[in-house]
Amino acid sequence: MLSQIAYEWPEFATYYNWVFLAGAAGTTLALSALGVILGSVFGLLLAVARISDGRLLLPLRVLAFAFTEIFRRVPFLVTLMLAFFGFQIFFSDVPLFVVAAVTTTFIASAFLSEIIRGGLNSVHRNQWEAAEAMNFSQLQTIRHVILPQAWRVILPPAFGFFVMFIKDTALASQIGVVELTYAAKVLNNKGFSAALAFGVVLLIYFAISYPLARLGAALEIRLAPSRHHRP
Amino acid sequence: MGYVLQYGQIWPYLPRLLDGAWLALQIAVLAFCGGLLIGTLGAAIKSFGPRWLSMIVGAYVTFFTNTPQLVQIFFLYFALPDAGILLSSFNAVLLGMTLNAGAYLTEIQRAGFESSRRSELEASEVLGFSRLQQIRYVILPHVAQVLFPPLSNHFIIMTLGTSMAAVFGVEELTGQALNINSMTFRSIEVFTVTAGIYVVLTLIASVLLAAFGRFAFRARTKLI
Repeated sequence: MLSQIAYEWPEFATYYNWVFLAGAAGTTLALSALGVILGSVFGLLLAVARISDGRLLLPLRVLAFAFTEIFRRVPFLVTLMLAFFGFQIFFSDVPLFVVAAVTTTFIASAFLSEIIRGGLNSVHRNQWEAAEAMNFSQLQTIRHVILPQAWRVILPPAFGFFVMFIKDTALASQIGVVELTYAAKVLNNKGFSAALAFGVVLLIYFAISYPLARLGAALEIRLAPSRHHRP
Repeated sequence: MGYVLQYGQIWPYLPRLLDGAWLALQIAVLAFCGGLLIGTLGAAIKSFGPRWLSMIVGAYVTFFTNTPQLVQIFFLYFALPDAGILLSSFNAVLLGMTLNAGAYLTEIQRAGFESSRRSELEASEVLGFSRLQQIRYVILPHVAQVLFPPLSNHFIIMTLGTSMAAVFGVEELTGQALNINSMTFRSIEVFTVTAGIYVVLTLIASVLLAAFGRFAFRARTKLI
């Protein structure tokens, strides 16, 4: 295996292959970043919908609850297939990247809404009551009182989710989005041995994910020290 | 446009989907048990083992938790034959999921081991507990209670992760769904039913695990 890789390496390590892989890595990052950015917007809306009160908003609460529970319990691949065939039926000529980005947004919304809800709930009950006593509306309370305190709790796990999500987007290769995993398949089909193609892509994923994971760990220690029991 | 949902066409295939769900569950349980074995060993080594061994385990954990499971299985399935190791698709998926689970479960369990407090151990020593008694009555109950929720959570994640096996042609739930899709072309129907089965399957698993955890270890698992 190793001698094979050494034999193929000069052929493999050409300028255009690296450009191709760099572009694919960009797509992987864009896919997960887009999903997480849009997902945190929708996730916040879902979280706020779930902690809203009043009888009138009950359907909203139920809907938000169903959305988060369902999309957290359906595998990425199945959601992807649903989006893929759904788009095919109702729209023509949608770029595959958009299909994958819609999927990542849906899934990220569901997961991030749980993270954000946990953060909002972590703020002490007294703060909510004090804001209510000062005649803040619920949205004002969240905007001016809760979020400024909760973001420290929300950010570390949300960032951790982003790092995890980069690896999950590997499944987008199954509908033909040209991201890192798909690039590996293309290079493999071009005749490079699987060990070389998939090995290099594994290392690229590692090079992306590892520094971000370290950053996330540092973020957690910095932002939410109370949750860390240091010896 | 003008797509009419026809669930009637795929009801005859429902038993195949349920067979697939059963296989998915089997893969998840097998990989989880294997992963638990690796994870327990790994966590024990990282907490109590010699430094060089714990560095090797650390490298394993770091590598497997920072690369996608799908590409790991691709590597096992397509690259290992070059080295003379031929794995069937099922075995490749199982091995990949086990190794991946082992890495995550090492991390989870290490955190659990560290949660058993020094002072508790010292207190039990004062009370005259032997080493074995300490493990049996002080460390294990505590660790089990702390570890059960994240472990059952990871089991649910792995159950969803088994859908990856479809990529390699294993006929578990998603694999069956893809087959039925190509036979009937009722894509939306097939995949909504599949998604529903996954939701029901993981909900049942979550409820059972939470009930078991509360009964056996007094572990409080947040269900919703």
